[in-house]
Amino acid sequence: MLRFLLKESGRWALALLGALAIAVAVAAMARRGQRFDLALGRHVLAFLRLDFGTSALTGAEAAAEIAVRGPVTLRIVLLGSLIAALLGVPLGLLLGTGRLRRATAPLVQTVSSAPVFCAGLALAFAARRLGFAVQGEWGPLLLPALTVGLAGAAAIQATMRSAAASYHDAPFRAGLRRLGLPALEIERVHVVPQIFASLLRALGEIMLTLLSAAVVSEWVFGQHGIADLFVHSLALQDWNMAAPIVFVFAAATLTAGFVGRLCCRLVAGTEP
Amino acid sequence: MNTWRRVLVVAGWSGLGLVAVAVMLSEFLARWPAGSERVGPPLLAPSAPFPFGTDLLGRDVLSETIYGMSLSATQAAEAALIALVAGALMGFIGARLPRYLAALLHWAVASFAAIPPLLLALLLVALSSRGLCAVAAGLAAAPLAFLRTFERARRESLAGHAAHARATGISGSALLNRDLTYEFRDALLPTIARALAAVAIILSTLSFLGFGDTPPHRDLGLMIAAARSSYFTAWWTAAFPALALMLLILLARLAAGLDEGERP
Repeated sequence: MLRFLLKESGRWALALLGALAIAVAVAAMARRGQRFDLALGRHVLAFLRLDFGTSALTGAEAAAEIAVRGPVTLRIVLLGSLIAALLGVPLGLLLGTGRLRRATAPLVQTVSSAPVFCAGLALAFAARRLGFAVQGEWGPLLLPALTVGLAGAAAIQATMRSAAASYHDAPFRAGLRRLGLPALEIERVHVVPQIFASLLRALGEIMLTLLSAAVVSEWVFGQHGIADLFVHSLALQDWNMAAPIVFVFAAATLTAGFVGRLCCRLVAGTEP
Repeated sequence: MNTWRRVLVVAGWSGLGLVAVAVMLSEFLARWPAGSERVGPPLLAPSAPFPFGTDLLGRDVLSETIYGMSLSATQAAEAALIALVAGALMGFIGARLPRYLAALLHWAVASFAAIPPLLLALLLVALSSRGLCAVAAGLAAAPLAFLRTFERARRESLAGHAAHARATGISGSALLNRDLTYEFRDALLPTIARALAAVAIILSTLSFLGFGDTPPHRDLGLMIAAARSSYFTAWWTAAFPALALMLLILLARLAAGLDEGERP
């Protein structure tokens, strides 16, 4: 386990280094006439001092701006993850079974073809038609989080269903059945942990889906989080602002993947 | 692949073929030239003369959807080819590089793959220009295509037949040639369709966020974005372009043989 932990930590640290290199290259775009290689060197040193520079548009420190906007995105992603888990896990387990899987396949395939912004607009339309009013601190975040949650739920159920399908005809099931184990016990003790291990293994990819959905939902619902800030920064070529956000998103994905692989090792007992 | 899945794949490719025909005949299928304003009253609901209704500027939504579909499908095809070359082909070749070089390349591409493809595409468009959004979408989808092909090709290059071939004196280039032939035969079409589904989503989202084409060239994403101000009262201005976009993505997903909900 220790060897696995060291290996995975090393991989994670290396991957973070790669993401940092990309962020530095993006920041170096704001070189103001300086040569790119010199700007790159300057930004490497600045990033190592945790100095991300100032926004070219507002003049505020990039780190401070992210600290102000970050909680909005964090809340949307957290609430979205919760909705994704609540919807995706039962759906994944339910639709993983043979007959139901085939029956719902056309519907799931069609729904999965909807881009996130279409889902967001449809939700906004439905909310307006139903007279759905949102209040309180978390109220305005409900529809964006629901959009993110639906995207996440699609990713979760697909991962689980795919894992369930791969274990459906696994040889160990027949062996266990011959040993006299009841079907329910085989599912509960041997199959379900493997399905959850597959889900944990795909945590990085699920995070990619959640973050992409957060960018779109903040735009659709006019929420001013860092995803919205990123889009505006790029539109106005504010590279100092865009660079740390790229790093934050990449780091979130890599960390989710890292944690997922560790948890997968704990749940399944084998290397992911 | 079971029979049902095979039927769906054929249906997907047939549908994409029909879309290609519609793209070629878009000038004939549409009743008005692209962007023609005031051809009918503004925000007219679907009716016999305007089956998809009209938008805020009195444009025929059916004609505009056909043009939008044509632009979206053409750009998606270009971007899918870029994703195929920069992602899948590079992944295939990269997996056969010497071990440390392959590991270095894998690390570099995996760093890009940690950034959500949409954000990467936004970044690339901002670094270049809106006219290159198809290139940006193709390059943004490439890292995931690279990693997928890289893993498969790495397993292949370490498989028993490769070791046996090397031991019997078959050159590395002959082995690469053989594997590439099998890769083309078995995985080319699904890889293209998978890339098409991925880039269609990225491209339409880029346009929706204002990073894609600019009027008078309106793809489906831009049409939906333009309908945001009117769709609460005139649902048809956004619904038909959205359905056309979903159809394009659905056909590409079916052609790729993707599981329901699987990420393209």
